[in-house]
Amino acid sequence: MKKYLQLAKITFEEYLVYRLNFYLWRFRSFIVFLTLLFFWLAIYGDRTEFLGYQKAQMITYVIGIAFLRTIVLGSRSADLGPQIRSGELTKLLLKPIKTIHFWFTRDVVDKGLNLFFTIIEILAIVWLLKLSFYLPYHLTTYFSFAVLSLMAIFLYFFLSFTLSVVAFWTEEIWATRWLFGVIFLEFLAGAFFPLDVLPSWLTKIIYLTPFPYLVFFPMKIWLEQLNSGEIIMAIFICLIWLIFFWWLAVFLWRKGAKNYGAYGG
Amino acid sequence: MNTIEVSHLRKFYSVFKKEPGVWGSLKSVFKRRYEEVRAVDDISFNIKEGELVGFIGPNGAGKTTTLKCLSGLLYPDSGFVSVLGFQPWQRKPEFQKQFALVMGQKNQLWWDLPPMETFLLNKEIYEVPDEQFKKTLEELVELLEVEDILKIQTRKLSLGQRMKCELIAALIHSPKVLFLDEPTIGLDVIMQKKIRDFIKEYNQRYQATIILTSHYMGDVKELCQRVLIIDKGQLVFDGALEKIVKKYAEHKLISVVLSEKVSLEKLKQIGKVDKYDYPKVNFRIGKKQTSEITSKILEELPIVDLNIEESPIEEIIRDLFTKKNYR
Repeated sequence: MKKYLQLAKITFEEYLVYRLNFYLWRFRSFIVFLTLLFFWLAIYGDRTEFLGYQKAQMITYVIGIAFLRTIVLGSRSADLGPQIRSGELTKLLLKPIKTIHFWFTRDVVDKGLNLFFTIIEILAIVWLLKLSFYLPYHLTTYFSFAVLSLMAIFLYFFLSFTLSVVAFWTEEIWATRWLFGVIFLEFLAGAFFPLDVLPSWLTKIIYLTPFPYLVFFPMKIWLEQLNSGEIIMAIFICLIWLIFFWWLAVFLWRKGAKNYGAYGG
Repeated sequence: MNTIEVSHLRKFYSVFKKEPGVWGSLKSVFKRRYEEVRAVDDISFNIKEGELVGFIGPNGAGKTTTLKCLSGLLYPDSGFVSVLGFQPWQRKPEFQKQFALVMGQKNQLWWDLPPMETFLLNKEIYEVPDEQFKKTLEELVELLEVEDILKIQTRKLSLGQRMKCELIAALIHSPKVLFLDEPTIGLDVIMQKKIRDFIKEYNQRYQATIILTSHYMGDVKELCQRVLIIDKGQLVFDGALEKIVKKYAEHKLISVVLSEKVSLEKLKQIGKVDKYDYPKVNFRIGKKQTSEITSKILEELPIVDLNIEESPIEEIIRDLFTKKNYR
């Protein structure tokens, strides 16, 4: 355990070295958040309801996107692919440290730091624009939201790890990552708009994929728009995907590590 | 007991070949030609505890591939490898805690942080107790004379300073087995010498088993009693360094200091002249003719001094690699 603490510490120090990089990344995230927020504010205009969502609910959804983007979407394990290709992975494989744990530790630091700034940004915007924000009534809502969000963090981590591990076999990992990142993930996760504004036959298909459990369902829970049966169902499906990708990530990792060419040097 | 055992180790790569240019790239989309590279082809050797063995061969001979198999990075295609009783590719933590691989061309130090951070991280990764860490670090820092650079960002260090810190990072858990892949590459002669002295000292002080690869014969000559020579994936020599000289040296050098000028033609009649720069002449002659030609020189030339030497080991090995006539 101590080794991962030390790793967290060193990762944190690294971020302090790359300060500008971090600021720019924060700036970009902030702009994405603002764009989406103003887009939805413009659509609502003077309306109080649109597509079955109250204005306050939609604003809460958009703020939720910014929050969940920070803690769920985005993983340092994206760096693993290039490391496999360049042979840099070698130094990790030689040591008594688990690669999956290594990347997850780096993620925790990355997410923690970003979360700190995201919360400040959100609070500032909510206060400046005097936005009405939906706060759940029931205590259990907070609990289910926390459970599903936590599962979403792991689900996304294993998804991302699995994709990076593909670099053991393919030469061009970036094409797959881009396709995955932009088209599938953000859209299907509901990181632009709530998925239930789509035709219901389409949403039924999307609900079977792992993606809506990353952003959409946690937010639906927060907005208290799901009954307890639906919440349990969402957690159940998410759990199945989580176990599947966990298994796949570990399986592919083991297979790939055997196949590893340790290039260079 | 042998610390390292390798028997009939084989590791082949299949490499995809692409013709140059856009057309070649397009063709490769539809049809790829793979070629098998026999990086290591049936190698066997054993190394005892505390031995310091040199591993030499031309570029692409299979040295690094062998080291990668020994350190568990590569999964051997066939054959048996055992290091400290472990099969390296299983990557067991108990095994990883007892060895280190240093590659002169790769760094493990965290690029943007001072070396000390890497040492501290390695301390935790290898679960080194505080006391031992402090003691080992002190010793290594003193041996390598790096007190003042531990807190400078790695990327701002010179190559030599970085190499020293790489060594410390690799040795902080006091490994019993050490693989050094060209640890002196790109270093100046003074730094080379320091690293060499350090390796020797480390070997003796801790009874560590070390395999060293290097393109500088100086490293091998000074450090290793035993060498393994590998070429095209096969082991062509395993034995004492002097034996290479005995076995493969085809020539001897006779250097003579003349008391008066002699024409080059006359010198050439005696034997093959390597260099003539009055008053010095160097003859390069076949090993078997040594006594015959020496007496000729003594009889026919006005000499002040005469010396018979083996040809330098670099030359022998160069001949060996270019002619490829291993016996």
